[in-house]
Amino acid sequence: MLLAIDSSAGTSAAIFDGERLVSKAVFEDPFGHAENIGDAIVKVLGEAKITPKDLTAVAVGRGPAPYTGLRVGMAAGISLAKTLKLDLHGVMVLDAIAYGIKGDVVVTTDAKRGELFHAVYQDGVRVSGPSVISPTELDIQPGYNHLTAGCDAEKIGRFAIAALANGIDLSDVSALYLRSADVSPSKGKRVTG
Amino acid sequence: MEVREITIGDLPVVMELERQLFAAESWLESTMASEIQNPNTFYLGLFDGGLLGYAGLSSVPASFSADVQTIGVAPGQQGQGLGRKLMELLMARALAVGAEQVLLEVRADNERAIALYKALGFEQIDTRKRYYQPSGVDALIMRAKIRQPIVLGIESTCDETGVGIVQGNRLLANALASSMDEHAKYGGVVPEVAARAHLESIGQVLDKALAEAGITIDKVDAIAVANGPGLAGALMVGIGAAKGLAVAHDIPIYAVNHLVGHVGADVLERGSVQLPTIALLVSGGHTSLLLVRDLLDDVELLGETIDDAAGEAFDKVARVLGLPYPGGPQIDQLALTGNPKAIRFPRGLTLPKDMEKHRYNFSFSGLKTAVARYVEKAEDEGTELNRADVAASFREAVVDVLISKAINACKEHGVNRLLLGGGVVANARLREYAKEVCEREGIELRIPRFSLCTDNGAMIASLGAQLIMNGREPSSLGFSAESTLDVTEVQTP
Repeated sequence: MLLAIDSSAGTSAAIFDGERLVSKAVFEDPFGHAENIGDAIVKVLGEAKITPKDLTAVAVGRGPAPYTGLRVGMAAGISLAKTLKLDLHGVMVLDAIAYGIKGDVVVTTDAKRGELFHAVYQDGVRVSGPSVISPTELDIQPGYNHLTAGCDAEKIGRFAIAALANGIDLSDVSALYLRSADVSPSKGKRVTG
Repeated sequence: MEVREITIGDLPVVMELERQLFAAESWLESTMASEIQNPNTFYLGLFDGGLLGYAGLSSVPASFSADVQTIGVAPGQQGQGLGRKLMELLMARALAVGAEQVLLEVRADNERAIALYKALGFEQIDTRKRYYQPSGVDALIMRAKIRQPIVLGIESTCDETGVGIVQGNRLLANALASSMDEHAKYGGVVPEVAARAHLESIGQVLDKALAEAGITIDKVDAIAVANGPGLAGALMVGIGAAKGLAVAHDIPIYAVNHLVGHVGADVLERGSVQLPTIALLVSGGHTSLLLVRDLLDDVELLGETIDDAAGEAFDKVARVLGLPYPGGPQIDQLALTGNPKAIRFPRGLTLPKDMEKHRYNFSFSGLKTAVARYVEKAEDEGTELNRADVAASFREAVVDVLISKAINACKEHGVNRLLLGGGVVANARLREYAKEVCEREGIELRIPRFSLCTDNGAMIASLGAQLIMNGREPSSLGFSAESTLDVTEVQTP
């Protein structure tokens, strides 16, 4: 039983039994991560009629995504997996969005501050990105499928299950910010003239 | 029927029943009076018109043990479960004060009482021969063990990632990771840097706390987390981790107030927070003056900073003086050789006109500007700057205004206790001046050990434990981060 958690857009959780999706809960509120993370997990466990002890692994979306919300789901995944002694897998959310889609695909998600997170895929394999771009840099070539919907726990889970089956390493569970913390040391300014 | 604590005003009715019940072996009135008035005892009465029954419990803070002093039910009221009710209330009280065992003695010939105590979990551990005089009846010493709740607390309101574990009033672990070094190059705490650091360290701090306490997570009865006040992004990491733990192990969660947590830290030092008390909490994020009448139910904000926190002022002035972050220890060091009276820097909000509106509020932004002006003037005029004098005079201005306002609060509210908390308590001059003034004014000063003064997870765990020990319901799983949480909201429902 795999528990997938994502808070890169809304807040969501999903349970998979093998490759089968057993339950899923999505809270759309883009500002309600801290509020909804507990209820999302409780809800999917309840609907799957299992207890946390039945879980065998946890997968979390590790971004890129607006930071504040992203960290809530990751922190919950870390504390839960660590204390239940479960493997924790990190999934890059743009990979999860593009997973299983044939052909040429461009994935963009809202990076706030008028920018986009961006990656390009061919048959689900990333060929470019992830990166942060300005919308004016976005160039969708003819024949490309442009995906703009955000991620959720179901996508995270499906990607993780397939990736692990193919021996892909998902052990990096650090947050993927793609931007520095937005500060530069200031010299300090004079108060007189 | 009314159940309430017995006060000295009830002494006549208590003595009447005492004499009726215990005749020659009854306590003296003076003994009963001092028992009722002892701050470490708790006497409880059942009233319905008259007094139906009474019982007393004694527990010295930090002894982790409580004693049943007496219990009695009026002759006409016996056999209705009133004795059991009184005992249950005493046991609840013993739990609330952090006792890990309750001891009592009972006449060896009082079979009914012995049966009741056994039913409540007491076991005989000793016999005192001919204890009761003049009858010469033996006393059985009985003991019930109380399992105090184990609470894991998470703190992430600013730049410290803290996980603490307590059992009742006992400190089991206090693990910490700080992102202070990462903030050094910016000269102050950067919220996004702090939040990132919390996520990176929460897992290992959690491991460290459990290892330090020597327990596994399945021994933990509840999770507590500071959900405010603090930096929103930072708070949310702690909340995410706390909710993950609560749902993973199906245990209750308590969302508690960070500032009240600072006040409650003293519980871990000496078994209780002596109340009422004035509390002065001074850190890089807060400068708050509180009147605490009850840790869980009655915390009043008397005043706070209207601009910079005191710790922030230290950081900013350190920069003006070309010293690294964090500024507090640097200025403390430099001030050692300086004259605190060399420069009369302004004391914010202490003028009569300010005191009307801002009696207990603080302002440090004007002080920082005054220091900067002074330094710039010296630089512009090419005169030599005695940096040690500037540091000492600045520090004196901060300490003077902090302690003066705190002492005013003590006097004006008739509270002769002052508790200090927050990272700025590390400042040597603040501690020294507080001691000096408190001694002069006859005010009892409490400063918990430094690891409990700075932001830490143990104080959060301790406040959560206090809520459980006093029978409070857990928070709902849907609580949010409250960056401006009011100090009156000790627990978010």
